[in-house]
Amino acid sequence: MTAFAKLAAVETKLLVREPGSLVSVLIPLFFLVVFGASADATDTVLLPMGMAIAVALIGLYLLPTTLASYRERGILRRMSTTPVRPGNLLTVQMILQLVLLAAATALQLAVAGGVLGLSLPAGFAPVALVFALGTAAMFAIGLLIAALAPTGRAANGIGVLLYFPMAYLAGLIQPARQMPASLARIGEYTPLGAFRTALGQAWTGQAPEPLPLVLLAAYTVLISAVAARAFRWE
Amino acid sequence: MAIIEVTGLRKSYGGRTVLDGISLGVEAGEVFGILGPNGAGKTTTVECVEGLRRPDAGTVSVLGLDPHRDTRAVREAIGVQLQQTQLPDNLKVWEALDLYASFYSRPRDWRALMEEWGLAELRNARFGKLSGGQKQRLFIALALVGNPQVAFLDELTTGLDPQARRSTWELVKRVRDSGVTTVLVSHYMDEVEELCDRVAVIDRGTVVALDTPAGLVDRNAGPQRMRFTLPRGAADPAAIVAAVPGVTGVTTEPGRDGDRVTVTGTGDFATAVTGALARNHVLVTDLRIDQRSLEDAFIALTGRPLDR
Repeated sequence: MTAFAKLAAVETKLLVREPGSLVSVLIPLFFLVVFGASADATDTVLLPMGMAIAVALIGLYLLPTTLASYRERGILRRMSTTPVRPGNLLTVQMILQLVLLAAATALQLAVAGGVLGLSLPAGFAPVALVFALGTAAMFAIGLLIAALAPTGRAANGIGVLLYFPMAYLAGLIQPARQMPASLARIGEYTPLGAFRTALGQAWTGQAPEPLPLVLLAAYTVLISAVAARAFRWE
Repeated sequence: MAIIEVTGLRKSYGGRTVLDGISLGVEAGEVFGILGPNGAGKTTTVECVEGLRRPDAGTVSVLGLDPHRDTRAVREAIGVQLQQTQLPDNLKVWEALDLYASFYSRPRDWRALMEEWGLAELRNARFGKLSGGQKQRLFIALALVGNPQVAFLDELTTGLDPQARRSTWELVKRVRDSGVTTVLVSHYMDEVEELCDRVAVIDRGTVVALDTPAGLVDRNAGPQRMRFTLPRGAADPAAIVAAVPGVTGVTTEPGRDGDRVTVTGTGDFATAVTGALARNHVLVTDLRIDQRSLEDAFIALTGRPLDR
């Protein structure tokens, strides 16, 4: 097996052994089941919300915590003494977190469609596009946290601290229409808010407005550029 | 043959000079010690040799290669145990060895290595559950899994209890016996004295001495001293003692139980002095030979004790 494949195999085992990854899959599913049990079949809000929660949990919490603790423990540094570049480990981690996210999403879709009987998206392509953009923006924020946090614990703390205000502003804790209008308006411009808005629109088969999509793309490019500059291997 | 050549290494961070012209050479097959207080520049020196840091000035050659130009070739040929690094808590011992073996093009058989280092019964143990000594054993095995020609071991026994330190020393001797050249970074005198063939003493970014541990002691720890007490009424043996080769000074002063004689000298003078006293039927009591240590040499070289 090549070093990259071996690295992927070992990191997969570690991800499965890490309780945080299970939590990131189960929390959005729990949300979906609790609220979805009493929702009617025409509901188009719950499933996009559950998916946005999964993206945010993995991007803001799991990814940065893992990467920052790898740096804190000197694992990236130890790798840089071997012929294999530690960048490989970051790549493997990103891919694995995306796979985990895909699994969490597939599970939600299966439970929502098969068990709860909620309505699935009208068209696949727009939803997939919005989902990809939103994931890119959240992962960029996660990478920035990983770049700035001195320890895994600090990354975890920053992730949790960011998650709640972002989730609130995005209307994931309380529906946007029940929020003060000014906050709901601000929320539309946050990365997670723009993601939820665009995902909701794509879900119901409307052509998504360009603004949230442009916002997501801009956030992704800007934040990942800052993260790449700020990232330290040790 | 010199495996590592370092000349005129300089490095500063934000105006603070960390390395101020380090030069040293490591010969094939030896255990080479780098000794010095914390912050002296030991780790930075080693990191420049490993290619982890780029010096501001000076040259480094490892097996004739430049760690920054021939990075991959150098990393294939070295094995590194870094100070204060960990592995993921949930990684099992065998997985760590298997993974790190896959990083090298001609690794050692990691299963044999696991047996050899007494890790076989821990193969399924997770890193987070290992004791300090077991972690060190795994780290040394990881440093060797790429089948390196040079192993760098940085502060290997810091934080270990005395028994674990002693058994880690045995491991280092086994690394040496297997023919791997070893660079040992330490701030422990006893460790360096026990393990190293030659030592570079580094202080404030410069090499203040480079010698065998015994040579460092001989040349820097000051004259060796022996003391004994003469019974009351015995003739002063100063003339006999002073004639012994290697003796550099004799002083006699009155003590409670008789005259106290202090003899200073070099080399193996103490044995010669006791021999001369016996031949001349001078009976002495309370004979003591002061052991000089690397610690004394270090104080003489740097003007201060090596504190933690």
